[in-house]
Amino acid sequence: MTEVACKSCKYITSEATVCKICGGRDFTKNWYGYLVVIDPEKSEIAKKLGIKYPGKYALTVS
Amino acid sequence: MSRFFVVKTTANQERLVANMMSMVAKKNKANVYSILAPKELKGYVIVEAESTEDLVKSIRGVPHVKGLVRGEVSFNEIEHFLTPRKAAEQIKEGYTVEIISGPFKGELAVVKRVDEARNEITVELIEAVVSIPITVKADHVRVVDKKEEVE
Repeated sequence: MTEVACKSCKYITSEATVCKICGGRDFTKNWYGYLVVIDPEKSEIAKKLGIKYPGKYALTVS
Repeated sequence: MSRFFVVKTTANQERLVANMMSMVAKKNKANVYSILAPKELKGYVIVEAESTEDLVKSIRGVPHVKGLVRGEVSFNEIEHFLTPRKAAEQIKEGYTVEIISGPFKGELAVVKRVDEARNEITVELIEAVVSIPITVKADHVRVVDKKEEVE
């Protein structure tokens, strides 16, 4: 199954319906870079990118 | 305070390793906060963890992990992966590129024009008898030769 990324929050999901994080409906197959956030409160990377929920994220979407 | 470590993986298995490591970390209750697999870094993933012990806990039994890179990296060193520059910004006119996806996959081409705003480049295939400009996404090419074209 192809994974798609939400265009606004970059959350990666395999169901391109409604984004669980931001509620966006715009998804793209063209995403690059991969980030798994496990603990967004302690992660400096998540803080830097403004990620508040654990999950898989892309670094760039186009 | 989190620290950053680098794990060596089999090439092209970075995402699988990141997924598996996150599951193992949760199962073993390791203090791993995030796992980063930038596209530019083939064969490695960056792990944000509390300590080396937590890192070791999170790679236990994970396939495609080939080893740990000694020492750690600072946040400054990985910051540029988080806000990647557009691919088009790194390509200039006259560069020789290889197209890596789409119908022209594997073909060599010379860059004729770069559109940074759209992240697209216009290229001409080297082996084509009649040169036809084609426009491709800048992410779909790999720079082969940075020498600018001599007319």
